[in-house]
Amino acid sequence: MKALLICPSIRPAVPQLAEEGPLVTAPILGECLVCHWIEHLAARGAREIRIVASDRVDVVRAAVGSGSRWGVRLEVVSVSFEPTVAEAVATYRLRDETPVQWLPAPLDVVLMSHLPGCPDLPLFESYAGWFAALLAWMPQAITPVRIRVSELLPGVWVGRRARLSPQAQIVAPCWIGDQVFVEPGATVGPNAIVEDRAVVERAARVAQSWVGPDTLVGQMTSVSHSLAWGSSLTNWQTDSSLRVPDPFLLCSLARPLSALATGRPGSRPGSPARVTDTSLPPGAPFGWIAAPAGAAAPKLPRQANDPSL
Amino acid sequence: MKIQNQGQCLTISEIPELTAVNSAQFREEVRAALPEAPPVIEIDLSETRFVDSSGLGALFALYRAAGEDDGITLRLLNPKPEVQQLLELTQMEQLFEIVQR
Repeated sequence: MKALLICPSIRPAVPQLAEEGPLVTAPILGECLVCHWIEHLAARGAREIRIVASDRVDVVRAAVGSGSRWGVRLEVVSVSFEPTVAEAVATYRLRDETPVQWLPAPLDVVLMSHLPGCPDLPLFESYAGWFAALLAWMPQAITPVRIRVSELLPGVWVGRRARLSPQAQIVAPCWIGDQVFVEPGATVGPNAIVEDRAVVERAARVAQSWVGPDTLVGQMTSVSHSLAWGSSLTNWQTDSSLRVPDPFLLCSLARPLSALATGRPGSRPGSPARVTDTSLPPGAPFGWIAAPAGAAAPKLPRQANDPSL
Repeated sequence: MKIQNQGQCLTISEIPELTAVNSAQFREEVRAALPEAPPVIEIDLSETRFVDSSGLGALFALYRAAGEDDGITLRLLNPKPEVQQLLELTQMEQLFEIVQR
């Protein structure tokens, strides 16, 4: 059967959520919104899904791939503006002359402004709405195809490769994603969502909040009633947003320190030469950062453009 | 930055930012005014758009200096939402009396 998904374009109420990518690729409990929808439709029999996107289409395409992961065939269509559901039905469904059937309404054409099964909880009308929708979605986020997260205690979902210190305090309900690291003395919950690969350092607290993927919550900091993603901190009660200037309080682990200093877009982790101090000369070996204070600086390998050569 | 001694209250105002650039100056000027400080010190943050860890350090130094004299009350006035967020993130809002007027 066929289905069509409409990606919401920019929503002025939640600009922070669209900073890193289009809204449908914003991370929600370890997956992006569009992936949650594809999984939902595939489980209901969809085999051909067309995705209509107007904002950063390449990012959407990269996020969903070919669809083989869900056993469906995906096509991402670029459009200049976001169509309404009625327009999409008229354009794509009513003109479809192929014999393949469509999923029954309302799953045939879906505007992804909410999570599957939660039409009463709009995601993009306010930060408070986003957070409320994620909390409501938590118990439904575990599906048979998701094996990386399990419910350790009632109301406590933890990723299989997460590392929680025995001295950390975990308070239900909360979600701790895959490869998250919670250090001793830290408190996570209640009503906390910590996305994949985040680090909650010693004695930090996360409550009534969402922490985005690859985010460092520094020692002794308290993230409360907020959405924290990289160095962005948004209070979902007041809609006030702040770019935290000091990386030891809150920062992204997915981009190098040099990018934090200059505002340049970062790269994914795994490029160690760029994670080092920006004062290092180009081409300096990564080992420099581990050299003890006062130790003689190692000689740099000669570069091809070295005039002394 | 403006420091005014109004008898019962020492008011520090017109602080556009409190960062590594001016936090040392802030500390020195406020510390110099402390010996004659009245029982209430108010730091007006209504014009403060940006605070970093150095600025927070300066506020904490003032908190400690004032704490040496039990009679002194320290207030932060009208912080902008972003500054209030930073105070909450660092849990410094528990140290100060924060007043919105």
